[in-house]
This record gives sequence, structure tokens and C-alpha cells, in this order.
Amino acid sequence: MGQLTLTGVKKRFEELEVIHGIDLDIKDGEFIVFVGPSGCGKSTLLRMICGLEEISAGDCLIDGTRVNDLPPVKRGIAMVFQSYALYPHMTVFENIAFPLRVEKMPKAELTDRVTRAASVLQLDSRLHQKPGNLSGGQRQRVAIGRAIVREPSIFLFDEPLSNLDAALRAEMRIELTALHQKLKATMIYVTHDQVEAMTMADRIVVLDAGRISQVGAPLELYHTPDNLFVAGFIGNPRMNFIPATCLATSATGTRVELATGGTLTIPATRANATPGMSLTLGIRPEHLTLAPADTTLTITPTVVERLGVNTVAYADLPPIGTLSALLPGSAPIAPAQPVTLSFKATDCHLFDDQGQAFTRHVDTVTPVPEVAGA
Amino acid sequence: MKKNAMINRYRWWEMVLMYLGIALFLFFILAPFIEGFLVSLKPLGLLFSTPYKFFPENGSFAAYRTMWDSVPGFGRYIFNSFFISTVITIVVLVLVVPASYAFARIPFPGTGALLGAFLAVNMFSGAVLLIPLFRLMRSYGLLNTYWAMIVPGVAFLIPTAIWLLQTYMRRIPKELDEAAYVDGASHVYILRRVILPLAMPGIIVVAITTFIGAYAQQFIFALTFNSKTEFMPLPIGLFAYFGRQEVVWNELMAASFVGIAPAMILIFALQRYLVAGLTAGAVKQ
Ligand SMILES: Nc1ncnc2c1ncn2[C@@H]1O[C@H](COP(=O)(O)OP(=O)(O)O)[C@@H](O)[C@H]1O
Ligand SMILES: [Mg+2]
Repeated sequence: MGQLTLTGVKKRFEELEVIHGIDLDIKDGEFIVFVGPSGCGKSTLLRMICGLEEISAGDCLIDGTRVNDLPPVKRGIAMVFQSYALYPHMTVFENIAFPLRVEKMPKAELTDRVTRAASVLQLDSRLHQKPGNLSGGQRQRVAIGRAIVREPSIFLFDEPLSNLDAALRAEMRIELTALHQKLKATMIYVTHDQVEAMTMADRIVVLDAGRISQVGAPLELYHTPDNLFVAGFIGNPRMNFIPATCLATSATGTRVELATGGTLTIPATRANATPGMSLTLGIRPEHLTLAPADTTLTITPTVVERLGVNTVAYADLPPIGTLSALLPGSAPIAPAQPVTLSFKATDCHLFDDQGQAFTRHVDTVTPVPEVAGA
Repeated sequence: MKKNAMINRYRWWEMVLMYLGIALFLFFILAPFIEGFLVSLKPLGLLFSTPYKFFPENGSFAAYRTMWDSVPGFGRYIFNSFFISTVITIVVLVLVVPASYAFARIPFPGTGALLGAFLAVNMFSGAVLLIPLFRLMRSYGLLNTYWAMIVPGVAFLIPTAIWLLQTYMRRIPKELDEAAYVDGASHVYILRRVILPLAMPGIIVVAITTFIGAYAQQFIFALTFNSKTEFMPLPIGLFAYFGRQEVVWNELMAASFVGIAPAMILIFALQRYLVAGLTAGAVKQ
């Protein structure tokens, strides 16, 4: 079993507090992704769960047992490091066998387990090579092999793919997801790459400067971000933010005036909203269209990127800085040629002056199926 | 490095200048050795002839034969030197490997202060401490034994060895230890199975420098703490060629070369281990 609970977990390095109280419940078999900008404390949090870093305050419970003072092995945890941390003087076989050698497993069972792990990871033919002779992807697989031989109930990954090239990363992403489905173990995966987070996670934990900003299924975070930070972090290119002023509120929507001109009623509400309050309207680049809709924005693109499947336009819009638009296919849009884009009120997000999101009254959230066995 | 890389291309006169420079420095370093070797080939009478001739006319290796007869104990002196240096090297390694691991990996209060103290100790030469050391040895009854040369030898070589090895160990990625720890390994297990094999080039460097250091520093300790001929190391043994009337220069030089030969052979044999690169592939770059 691999159920994990964090309650009020804090981390201080000397005087400096870097993790400010994390409460989190992770179900057995879940694939959880910690995501956040560099330096927000993802690695530190993972190392505390692992047992490499002391927990300054709060508790870490695994299957209901407090494990704060237990070493990693006793916690039933294995970790895959960002730099693969392979032993260069040992063969692939010995690298994978290392945890079993430590626990002095009988030879026959050890060989059996290592061979099985190697075949899962397609390393059979490499067992007698040294890590120095392997490619990046193969090294990463050896590191994963070393984690799976011990059959832990919780796997921890610290940015395991960040040093691979883009093609290999996409490949390993799929392999890891398949591995998770096969092992059905709990996996906690740290990354700063939101594509990895969106594609692999059952639930994403967005961290911001040592605090949890939001926890939710990938599409939940995409459709209903709780705050400006999550709204800006999830989605690529990032959401456009336009300053707005609250004109009127009702039970079903909020009427706002945009800093770029025009008024519209957005089907989102928040209890503390009052007329006159300065708000932020969020609209994702992919929700800007050339076809007419509820309201319009006229921009002059400075850069247009054509990716074939879609076209990204960037423009300077004085009050808000850079605005980006993601249009399908090869959209008829060119640099230095003014163009009018439209968007629907139902696609808009609203945030109050503290950056907290308004509740959207739109049916966009497609429920994500629950994890099997949860 | 590739030989034909642009950065390694020079004009002909640049090459000439470089080789001239190298030749000049090499000459200064090697001249005494060459001169010594030539002396060992000459008959004694020729050494004091005027005008002095650098190159022997009827040179022979006779001195390499006669040296064993004029000082019968010479073989024993070589053995003593070798034995003392070897024991010192082994003792230093046994002490320094775990100590360096601790300095490199286990944070404890006073790490910096201790390392600084080792450097400071290094600044005193053994000579300053000879009298207190002598009294110490006398009270422990170590005078006139092999230990009289081994114990101070070890003590004075440990600081440099720790500095060298702990610096080397710090360069081994810490994630390797962490990965081993996560897999349940203890400090001793990590040291034995992970750090030791990876630090081997560093350990060999330490072994060689310690051995050379032990070889070189024997003289002063042997002179002060030992008066028994059978325990004397090579540098003292060479004094035996200082006869009552004259110094047998050619045999002295021959003996010097024979004396350092075992050490030289050992160093050349170990040299290939000095090539690092064992850590390639440990972590992704
Ligand atoms: N051993 C340490 N001593 C002091 N500060 C540390 C230590 N490890 C991490 N930090 C600090 O904690 C913060 C979070 O670091 P980290 O968890 O590595 O971030 P992330 O993995 O999200 O990039 C950073 O500001 C970092 O400087
Ligand atoms: Mg990190």
C-alpha cells in the first residue's frame, strides 16, 4: 500500500523557511505531479517525503504510520534522481541489483528480480555494460530499474526527464505512464514542465514559493484555476491577463469594463466583488478567434510563429504587455498587420484584486475518471 | 584533445620557441641527475682530473658492482627504506581514507577548523619538533626501532594526505551517496562499495605522494631517533660511502641511483592509474 499524508509539513534551512506548511493527501496508486517554477521547493518537499531531508515541523504519514524519523528503506520508498546517480564502476546489472545486495538477498532471487526489472525496461541486452556506454534514455531506464527492483509502494521522481532531448522526453513520458499502469504503485513526480504535469498526472499539485497554490486534476486546473498564479502557470502560451473594472454584479455573472475598451458580462461570480473593484480578466490564447464573438481586441502582431497545426501571434498591447493568440492551422495573420480578434465571455476567467478566482458558471470541466483502485 | 584542432595549431617558430623553453627548464632540472649518472660511470681517479671532463672516456658500470662490496649492508638499507615507506603508506591510507570520507561527506562542527589546523601543522617542518618528539619517543620506548621512523613519518604525512583525498572525494557527486542511502546502505557500505572504487585514482595519488614523502623525510628521523645500523634507511646508508679519507663518489652516485630505482619502478607502474575519467557517466552532464 502506498497511501501518503502530509500535515503541516514545514522545512527550515537554518533560519530560512522554504516550505511553509503543506497539507496533502495522496491516495494509493495515484500519480501525483508536483509542479512549480524553479526554486519553489519541489525537490525539498520530495526529499522530505523520501527521508533525505529532515522534516522541520509537521508530520509525514505513510499508510497511517508516522515516518518522520524512519530512513527511506523503512518507509517503503524508492527515488529516481535528476542526475541518474548511477554507479559508474558497476555494470547495469550491479546497478539495478544494488538495493538487493544491500539487503543481502539470496543470489537466485536477486538474479530473477534484476532480470525481470531489466526486461520491463528493455535493458536485457545491456546488463553487462557500464553506464558510461549507455545513452541518456538508457541511463534513465537503469535508474528506474534500480527503483523498481525493491518493489516499493511509493516511487519518487525528481525531474527525471529534464536532461533528455525533446523527442526522448516524449517517449519516456509514455513509458513512465505505462509503467505506472503496470505497477499500480503510488508515484510522486516532480517537474517544472507543465506538459509532463498535464499528460501524466492523476492530480497536479501546483507549488508557489513553498505553499500549495492548488491541487486538482489537470483539466480542473486548466478550466478552473483558483488564482492568478495557477492560471498563468498552466497552459502554454500562458493566459493573457487584461486589467478590468467591476461595473455590476449579479447572481449569475459580473459586468466588467476592460482596460482595452469595451464592456462585457462574464458568467463568473465571487462573494466579495463590489462595483468599482479592480479585477483581472484572464483569456487563454487558444480562446482568441478571428471569427466574431462577444467582444473584440485589435492587435498588431510583432511576431507570428507558424507551427503548421496552429499559428501563434504575439503583440504588444500597451496596458497589458505582451498578448498572445493561438489560432488553428495557418491563420491569415501577419506581423505588422493589424487584426481584430474576438473572444467569448464564457471563456473568460475573472480574478479579484488579491488574485483569487471568481467561480465560473460554465460547464467546461469534463470530469476525469477516478484512479482505479483508489 | 584532438591534435589537429585549430587551437593546437602553431607556426614553426612558435614550436621552436616552445621546445627551446622546455629544453632549458628540463636541463636545469635534469642536469644534476645527468652529472650524477656520468660520475657513477667514471673511475674515481678521473673525477679529480683537470681539466674536468664531463663525458667519461673509458666509462664503465664497475661502480655498480663494487658498491655492494665496499658497503656490505647496502641491500639492507634499501630494504629498510622500502619497508619503512611502505608501512607508512599503508598506515596513512588506513587512517586517511575514512577520515577524508568523514571530512567530505559528514557535516560536523569544526570541520573547517580541523582542516585549517592540519594545514598549520604542515607548516612546521619536522625539524622544529625534533626535541619534543625525541622525548616522546623515549618515554614510549620507541627509540632505535622501526617505529621511531614510522610513527613521526605517518604523523607528518597525514595532513597533506587528508587534504588531497577529501578534495578528491568532494568531487564525487553527492547524489551517488544519497541514492545508496535511499536504497538502505550504511555509511560503511557506501564508503566501501561506492566511494572507495570511485576515489581509487585519488587514493593512488595519495599513496604515491605519501610514499615519496616518506622516502624523502626518513633522513632526519633516522638520524635523530635511530642509532642501530640494521634499521638505517637508505639516506643514512649513503653516508657509509663517506670513507675516512675520501668520499667514494662514483660508488655513492651509483648507490643513489640503485637506491631510488625501486621507488621509481613502483611509481611508473602505478602511473596509469593516475589517469582519472573513472567517473564518466556517473551523472548526466
Ligand atoms: N541545503 C539547502 N540549504 C539552504 N537552502 C536550500 C537548500 N536546499 C534548497 N534550498 C533552498 O530551498 C529553496 C527550494 O529549493 P528546491 O526544493 O531545490 O527548489 P526546486 O526543486 O523547486 O527548484 C530554494 O530557494 C533553495 O535555495
Ligand atoms: Mg529541484
